[in-house]
Formats: sequence, C-alpha cells, structure tokens
Amino acid sequence: MSEIKECDLPGIGKKFSLELDSGDKLVVVIHSSGEREVFKFTRDSDEPSSVTKLTDEEARQVGAILSGAYFQPVIEDEPKLTMKNVTMEWIKIVPDSMLANKKIEELDIRKATGVSVTTIIRGETVIPNPCSGEVIKPQDTLIIIGNNEQIKNFMSTFEIKQRLEK
Amino acid sequence: MIVDETVLSLGISLLALFFAGLLATKVNQSLTAVFIVVGMILQNFFPVTIITEFIATLGIIFMLFIFGLEFSVGNLFNNQRKIFYTGIYDLLFNFPVGLFLGWVLGYDLIRSLLLGGIIYVTSSVIVAKSIIDLKRSANPETEYILNILVFEDMFIAVFLSFIVGILNYGHIDTRGTINVMMKTLAFFLFFVILARTSKKFIDKIIDIEHTELFVILILSIIVVSAGAAFKIGLSEAIGAFLAGLLLSETKQRHRISETIKPFQQFSTAIFFVVFGMSIDYKHMANLIPVGIFIFVISSFSKVLGGYFIGNRYSLSKKASLRLGFSLIPRGEFSIILAGTIAMNSRLPYPLKSLTGVYVLLSAILGSIIMKESDWFIKWFIERREKETKQISEHSAAGLSE
Repeated sequence: MSEIKECDLPGIGKKFSLELDSGDKLVVVIHSSGEREVFKFTRDSDEPSSVTKLTDEEARQVGAILSGAYFQPVIEDEPKLTMKNVTMEWIKIVPDSMLANKKIEELDIRKATGVSVTTIIRGETVIPNPCSGEVIKPQDTLIIIGNNEQIKNFMSTFEIKQRLEK
Repeated sequence: MIVDETVLSLGISLLALFFAGLLATKVNQSLTAVFIVVGMILQNFFPVTIITEFIATLGIIFMLFIFGLEFSVGNLFNNQRKIFYTGIYDLLFNFPVGLFLGWVLGYDLIRSLLLGGIIYVTSSVIVAKSIIDLKRSANPETEYILNILVFEDMFIAVFLSFIVGILNYGHIDTRGTINVMMKTLAFFLFFVILARTSKKFIDKIIDIEHTELFVILILSIIVVSAGAAFKIGLSEAIGAFLAGLLLSETKQRHRISETIKPFQQFSTAIFFVVFGMSIDYKHMANLIPVGIFIFVISSFSKVLGGYFIGNRYSLSKKASLRLGFSLIPRGEFSIILAGTIAMNSRLPYPLKSLTGVYVLLSAILGSIIMKESDWFIKWFIERREKETKQISEHSAAGLSE
C-alpha cells in the first residue's frame, strides 16, 4: 500500500496525493465548496496531464464504484465458483438436541451423513478440527462442511431445526 | 437631506457595480479592480457622503472579520514552520523593496513603511481564484503560494494595526513604537487567551436559534471589538480580525460566515467604490509613470523571491518560476492599507491615488501574467538549458584541442 500524503490548501480546501505503482501520481483536491478535482501527474511532471471535476454527489458515486461497493468485479467471484457444490453450515446445539452430550465418534457423523465437523465454537473458545473423542455440549455451535445432499441428510438424521445464518 | 440623496446615489452605484461586475466576470477580471474603476467614474456625478464613508468603514471591518473567521488557527499550528519560513523569505524579498522605493521617491519613514506594506501584500482573492480557474490547485508550487498568502495577510493585519497606532501617536520614535507594539501585543494576547480558555463558554453564548437575535449578537461582537481597538488607538480592522479569529473555532462558524457574508459583500463593494471616488483624476496622469516603475520593480522582486523559495524547497525550475509569477497580483489588502489610512482625517498621509494606479496595474496585468507566463517560463528554461549545453560543448572542445 502506498502512502497517501495530505496537505492543507488554505482558501481552497484539502489535497491528497497518492504515488501509484506505475510511477504516476494521482492527486485529489477537495474544495471547501464540496467540489472534487482529480488530477493525474505523469512521472516527474509538475503539470497535470488530466483534470476531472466532480460534484459532491458524483464523487461519492465514483468513490463507491472504486471501492467495489457498487459492483463486484469478476476476480472476486472466482473463489465462490470452486466452492459451488460445497456448503458450510453453522449449527446451534439446543439442550434437547440428539447431538448434545455425545462424542463425535459415538454419533458416527461422517459415516452416517457424509458431513464433517470442522469446528466447534464453545462460548469464547474455538476448537478447530475436533478429534473424534470430543464431546458436543449444549449451547455449542458446530461448523459443518459437505455438499448440499450431505447437509440435508445431516439435518434430517439429527432432526435439526435451528440453523444459524452467517 | 443628505440621507435622501445618498439613497439614490447608493442605488445608482450598486447598479453600476452590478453591470461592471457582470462584464468583469465575463472577461475573467478581478472585481476589485473593476469596482475601483466604477468609483473613479462615479465621482463625476455625486460626492462621497459621510454615510457612504461609514459603510466603507464597515466594509473594512467585515472583510477583516471574515478573513479572521476563515483563517484556520489549526492549520497555522500544524504547518507553522513551513508557513513561517516561506512567509519570512517572501517578506525579506519584497518589503524592503517598498521601503527603498519610498526613499527613492523622497518619502518620509512612515510613508515609506506604508508603501512597503502596499507593494508587499499579494492579493489572496485574485491569486486563489486564478489558481482554481487555471486548474493549478494540485500543482506542487500551489501549497507554497497559499502558505505565503496566509502569512502575508496575517502580517498585514498586524502591520495595519501598528501603522495606524503610530500615526495616532503622531510621529515615529522609539517610545512611540514600543508603546504601540505593547498595545497591539496586549490586545492580541487578550483575544488569544479568551479563545483558549473560554471556548465552551463562547460556544454556549452564541448558540442561539433565533435568526434575528443571532445576527444582532454576531454583529455586536464584531463592532464592539472593532470599536475597542479604535478606542485604544489601534485600527478597527485588527479588532474585527481578532473577533473573527475568536469565533473561527466555534461550532457555529459556518452559520456565522453565511450570516455575515452578505453584509461584507455589500459594504466591501462600497468601500472599493468610495476608494475609487476619492482618487484624483488630474493627479493620476502624473502618477502613471511612477506606478509603472513601482509595478515593474515589485513584480521583479516577487518573481525573484518566489523562485528562491521554490529552489529552497527543491521544486523544479518550472514550478519555482510559476510560484514567483503567481505572486504578482496585488489587490484588496493594498487598497485597505491605503484606504484605512486615508479615511482617518487626522492622518495626513494619502498615497491613495498612487495605490489606486498601482493596484489597477498589478491586478489586471498580474492575473494576465499568471495565465500567460507559461510560454515565458518554457522559453526561459530552454534558453538556460541551451546555454549550459553550449558551455559544456565549448569546454569539451577546449579540452580536445
């Protein structure tokens, strides 16, 4: 991350300049009137090669686009594609659950449903990759992983109604 | 009787200002210069009355108040070293030039000092506007220019107070100087301490929702401080400036600015007109050569000083020259200096017509130079580069012989 330099322009407003990886410099001037100006300086030049004037509203819109809040670019989608058939689910264990106070090996979760328990969240403590001897307690939250079929199977086998939304 | 006539003449003045101003914005010229010209023409039709003169005085007071209000003390403390050093260089390059010119023109010390102030202070209004219009706000030299302007305006506010104090005292000597300096310092300290210690208290007092009462309260704060400054023998302007500074740190700053701005715009315009009206036509023709002479010398010192400052802070040659050329326009503060002194009937130092000529020249030519200096800078740098190339070729040729 490159450093953003900030500087007061008394009588005009505030100036923010950002040295880009390409060696060019991008300067944003926020006028006291709310107007923004975006300047581009090519390497080693002290005159801007382009100037763009934006109103307050336009600047906010462009800002949202640049920060990715307005539209997610394709790059961000790739990790999701690889996970297409795999789902993670957060399960809260109620006191009268079939799973409560039993060891994982006792329940034989993987063999019966195909689902793996990846993590147990118990209050403040987190148990990643719990071993088969771990006892599931009431009020625990389980994070399980599996494909849609396996998850459905898990839900029906252990009669689980309470899921947690992420 | 006098009131009746003043109303009509005021109306006509304002109408003339409007049309002249409209024309000025079309050709991108500074309003200050145009308003003075309007005043010069209007003097043939009606005289300056006590009432217009009073509005003009209010114009100075409001202008200094707004300046104090928009002046960021925080900015001053954050960038104090940079502002201080660039400001001092600029002062050393330009103020003595005015003193020297005063001496050349055969003025006495006080008048030379006054001339020093008049040619020293660059117009923040014209320069800041030109920077925005020419899309130079992100240029490397711009922050230095603006810092210099802040220092200059601040210096002139204090200088004005000092010189009015000296003139009220009668003559310049060690005792008088110390006396006036102590008074100025005490007045300053009073406001600074007030601002530092009772910020919350002031915030509470001015937190009034009622629009009308709010206006009256703010006006009273301004006018009382201006009057108090006058009472102890300083200039009203410094009182107003400090009142602005005092209120600049409050939460209501924007509301205050919005409330007072219309008063300021109206009365400052009248101030420039009154100034123009009191410029003597016949006198002026003789003053033009002197005005041009002062303009050329003082522009040269500004460019030189700017170039030096740019070099000092390792800006490129181009940016340094542009820094110098951007400091040429003079305007509102030069007029205020000359105008305030001339308005006080006890003070026998006009310098008014000369300042009028000088400001008209530098405001109009200065903003044109600011815009058109690029080709000159380019030519200058190319020539320099060629010269150094020739010299190095020369010495290379000399070596091979």
